[in-house]
Amino acid sequence: MNWFLLGLLFCVLAQAVLLAPFSLGGIRPDLYLLLVFFVSQRVSPEVATVLAFMIGLWQDGLSGGPLGLRAFTYSLMGFLASRLSHHMYTDRPRAVFWLLLGGSAGAGCITLALLIFFLGPPPLVPALVFLIVPEALYTAAVGLLIFWLPQVRDALARSA
Amino acid sequence: MSGLLRLLARHRRAVILTVALVLSFLLMTLQVRHEAAVVTFTRQVVLFSVSPFIKVTAALVQGTRNLWRDYVDLRHLREENKHLQGEVAVLQRRIDQLEEQSLETQRLQRLLAMRESPQAGFLTARVVGKDATNWFKTILLDRGSQEGVRRNQPVLAPDGLVGRVVEVTPTSAKVQLLTDPVSAVGGLVQRTRVTGIVSGNLGAGARVRYLPLLADVVVGDEVVTSGMGGVFPKGIPVGRITAVERRSGALFQEASLQPLADLGRLEEVMILTALDGGTSFGAGATREGGTGFEAAGARRP
Repeated sequence: MNWFLLGLLFCVLAQAVLLAPFSLGGIRPDLYLLLVFFVSQRVSPEVATVLAFMIGLWQDGLSGGPLGLRAFTYSLMGFLASRLSHHMYTDRPRAVFWLLLGGSAGAGCITLALLIFFLGPPPLVPALVFLIVPEALYTAAVGLLIFWLPQVRDALARSA
Repeated sequence: MSGLLRLLARHRRAVILTVALVLSFLLMTLQVRHEAAVVTFTRQVVLFSVSPFIKVTAALVQGTRNLWRDYVDLRHLREENKHLQGEVAVLQRRIDQLEEQSLETQRLQRLLAMRESPQAGFLTARVVGKDATNWFKTILLDRGSQEGVRRNQPVLAPDGLVGRVVEVTPTSAKVQLLTDPVSAVGGLVQRTRVTGIVSGNLGAGARVRYLPLLADVVVGDEVVTSGMGGVFPKGIPVGRITAVERRSGALFQEASLQPLADLGRLEEVMILTALDGGTSFGAGATREGGTGFEAAGARRP
């Protein structure tokens, strides 16, 4: 539980302060979503759903959006990621990237669908082109980097 | 009863997922018209619990950045210019410091000029954090209710309107930027006095909606606040029209707007606490702005 809280605190600080200089066109990687994927690989689907719900609720509390928006999205993503983790496990970087990209884009589409339901239709093309796709790409790239770090560390340890 | 419990236990995964989804959906539904107490309370708890960490981190980042500029950069210069006299390095450092001080002085002087505008009450605040998502545009300030910040108070930068306060804790405040997709600000085209509503656009800056179809609006027109709604006083510069769209069959025309304030690089802002010596801003429920979600609802035709 401690690592989960530490991870959540890191996400809060990184997303609010640390990642600001690394934003590309105003887009930052969604570290909360990466935390959801990371947690979901390691716990059962029911625990993953609860933890993902909490992560989403926390993010909603710190965001300008309605409370429950990301909680809904992450609950679904956490559940799916945990259920599918055994079937889709891979250590190939390219596959990891595509899985993260798909997951992130899926989360973006669910969020957009909820916003459309509650707020009415926003302009879809700008939302997709300027928000969902770049966010998914950036999140997948950062996720891949995080995925690679232990492998690089292991490779260095072996070579030493 | 035990049969029901067994059934629930057997399908606990589906039950937990359904509960989480329904709970999230209910929370969102509660905010469509007005913000429920449980929502306000949850937001305040979350913001209050993490704002000290965010403030400390922002201060550390700022400190590290200054350290980098003052020392590491300088050391790097020294390494590159070993042949130069120590006196040159000292002068270079002084120039760097003076440039930084000059920029800061310029910024603060512009804020001070605004502060000294007739009979307005301002509170200066530093930006310490940004929104947790890319979907919404809010910033976190280092001032809260202890310093007199109230909900719905307008927030300005030297160049123009930034947004309004939407959440307040004793030591921090969350500001909804005018580019937020659920923000709504009454706007007025300065040249032709045509009114519209300035609102954020998901992933694509800001727009002026509900401009009358035959209204004279052209690229380059400046938009100021209209004063309607009661949140923002009339005449605050908001932005400049960059494109006008007239769709066939539409009842209104729309325009893209470039905010005058650089909302991506805010460091210090001013919170408007009072006008005309006595008129204080904030806290009151209004149609303009309202709660973010409420405002979005009100924006629909």
